[in-house]
Amino acid sequence: MNILEKLYQMTAISNIVDDPSFLLMYLIAFVLLYLGIKKHYEPLLLVPIAFGVLIANFPGGGMGVVAANGEGMVTLPDGTLRNIWEMPLHEIAHDLGLMNFLYYMLIKTGFLPPIIFMGVGALTDFGPMLRNLKLSIFGAGAQFGIFAVLITAIALGFTPQEAASLGIIGGADGPTAIFTTIKLAPHLLGPIAIAAYSYMALVPVIIPLVVKLTCSKKELSINMKEQDKLYPPKNEVKNMKTLKIIFPIAVTTIVAIIVPSAVPLVGMLMFGNLIKEIGADTSRLVDAAGNSIMNAATIFLGLCVGATMTTEAFLNWQTIGIVVCGFLAFAFSIASGICLVKIFNLFSKKKINPLIGATGLSAVPMASRVANDIALKYDSRNHVLNYCMASNISGVIGSAVAAGVLISFLG
Amino acid sequence: MENLQFGLLLALVGMTTVFVVLMLLILLSKYLILFINRFIPAEEEKTAQRPSDASKPIDAVDALVIAETVKMITGGKGKVTKVEKI
Repeated sequence: MNILEKLYQMTAISNIVDDPSFLLMYLIAFVLLYLGIKKHYEPLLLVPIAFGVLIANFPGGGMGVVAANGEGMVTLPDGTLRNIWEMPLHEIAHDLGLMNFLYYMLIKTGFLPPIIFMGVGALTDFGPMLRNLKLSIFGAGAQFGIFAVLITAIALGFTPQEAASLGIIGGADGPTAIFTTIKLAPHLLGPIAIAAYSYMALVPVIIPLVVKLTCSKKELSINMKEQDKLYPPKNEVKNMKTLKIIFPIAVTTIVAIIVPSAVPLVGMLMFGNLIKEIGADTSRLVDAAGNSIMNAATIFLGLCVGATMTTEAFLNWQTIGIVVCGFLAFAFSIASGICLVKIFNLFSKKKINPLIGATGLSAVPMASRVANDIALKYDSRNHVLNYCMASNISGVIGSAVAAGVLISFLG
Repeated sequence: MENLQFGLLLALVGMTTVFVVLMLLILLSKYLILFINRFIPAEEEKTAQRPSDASKPIDAVDALVIAETVKMITGGKGKVTKVEKI
């Protein structure tokens, strides 16, 4: 009988019976796995995150991330308090397990998001932005959602640091949201990462919804190619290859001078892009940055973010606030981009399709594809993809700059 | 209330910074394009060479191969009158 009781205590069942909230976490993990595998919603990230949630919530498994308090103190399994920043990595691995080792080495140090940005840079083509320079400014308009939700969240009772981490979801850029949250409100990392990537996956639903509420049929029928014929662009690029090589160096320099705290993100993004644009001489580096390094970083980022979602960290009212405010941030960003285009159209002879403002939030290239599909519904000859990519790519820079400002003021 | 005021200020500073940075990038890119178009217009030279390539006469061996192919496919009925590079 004693042995049977010990066997029962050894399994996770006893803990789950004592605290059934674990079951809710399994349900969340299964739903996320379903969305990633069956519905193909950002599977590269949702699947590792969901699996991280699952393995972190088996009592006794030791795979859940143990959050440090404001002073960096963590409670070890034997009940003693230790300062995590004074613990060597091998001790973290020994005392707190593999996932805490990965989390405190790769995530808490802010290492992985810039590495992912390097890979994103290696896969990004700034050509559409350079061909339609004026449209890039709409990437700035779409950042309003970040700051609108910052104010809303403060009004709801979040601290400015938490509100900023929440607002950055509106930048629609996963690594930026994670990087900002690590710096400002690490205890909210799990729910914010989940909200950011879930809403990014829902871009095909959210953009049409906001566009429907804010744009008329006449506005959505504005044909950009016809506008280009009526008012041709003044600057034709005669040597795109050279321009594409100089551009990342110039962007890094400007951003580094004005917002140095955005350099980890923008600098790595532009480094990845530079090695891509140089061509054959650096092709091996591009291959590493865009494939093996980025894929490995994505696996560890996803698993560690998922592992932060333990019952204590996730099942609270703050999470609901994050889900609601995250949606608002996304919707405000899209709407503010559209509004900026509408204001521009009031004063300009050359009219711009408001969909180009809607794609000012990052989510490259999905937002542009969705906007193109909407434009084609109203006019089957109106291909706006290249124009949308201009504001879409500048939105990546814009959201990284916004994150830099938030980290500078609140970090 | 103090936090809210700070939030408003941060929103103002943040949006202004984002606009300023992107405006600077646009301006800088514009001048970069002007500079590159003026001093390193490499792609223009390449494209300018293409028409002259097209205007070169077709090589005699190529013309013979084309004529023989047409003859074979059409059973001797077809005849090549003009070969043009496009």
